[in-house]
Amino acid sequence: MKAFWNKISANPYYKKIFKNPFTYLTGAVLLSIFQIAIFASTGSPWGVSGTFANWGAWLYELVGGNVDKWYYFSSEGAQNTLNAGILNHTGSWLNFGIIFGALAAALLASQFKIKKIKSLKQVVAAVLGGLLMGYGARLAGGCNIGALYSAIASLSLSGWVFAVFLFVGAFIGSKLLAKFFM
Amino acid sequence: MSKEYTIDCLGEACPVPLMKVQKEMEKMEVGDVLVAQIDHSCAMKNIPEWARNQGHNVEIEEVDDGEWEIVIEKTK
Repeated sequence: MKAFWNKISANPYYKKIFKNPFTYLTGAVLLSIFQIAIFASTGSPWGVSGTFANWGAWLYELVGGNVDKWYYFSSEGAQNTLNAGILNHTGSWLNFGIIFGALAAALLASQFKIKKIKSLKQVVAAVLGGLLMGYGARLAGGCNIGALYSAIASLSLSGWVFAVFLFVGAFIGSKLLAKFFM
Repeated sequence: MSKEYTIDCLGEACPVPLMKVQKEMEKMEVGDVLVAQIDHSCAMKNIPEWARNQGHNVEIEEVDDGEWEIVIEKTK
């Protein structure tokens, strides 16, 4: 059995497809093909972070909350989406795909590892960063997928504006990172 | 005599491992070796890329599932 696995891990095609990371070019070409497929099959451009707002609403409803009166969810379309439930929500399935796809990729490359948390500082930074990213993505009407990638692919000027400020944010973020983590 | 340095970047996400390597390399003499322990696959790409661009000798060793040691010999 061990010989079998050794044989697979030595196979050049296994290494090429599952083990070694794709080049940025390969990744970009695949992303482009799949985002066209998403647009063609779902009728709307690819987005990720909008779904998190819905997940938040569903979680809130699970514990007895109600978002009917929230401005963000006040449109009829948003209400219909929430009422239809998570299993009927295309964006949720796309995000499940990302999570399970990433898990599968790590497992197939035999690179799955539960990482230790190094310090409390790391936890605080991760939570704070996550909250800022989520809040910012909702204010901006999308994240680097919906508001940048899909917007630019749709020839929208807003995507380029987003890109400029993405660099501003990344610059400030890297300065903060160097200050607190080096 | 060349010295060997080790930095522990386990549990650290990009770009922290690369920044730590760059900082450590500044302190080293030509011929010294740096072993960077990482468990973040993107560091496995960007650290060797940076070090090779600088002209250093780089080797990557997979020590465990999702865990690598990047060995860099400072050449200049």
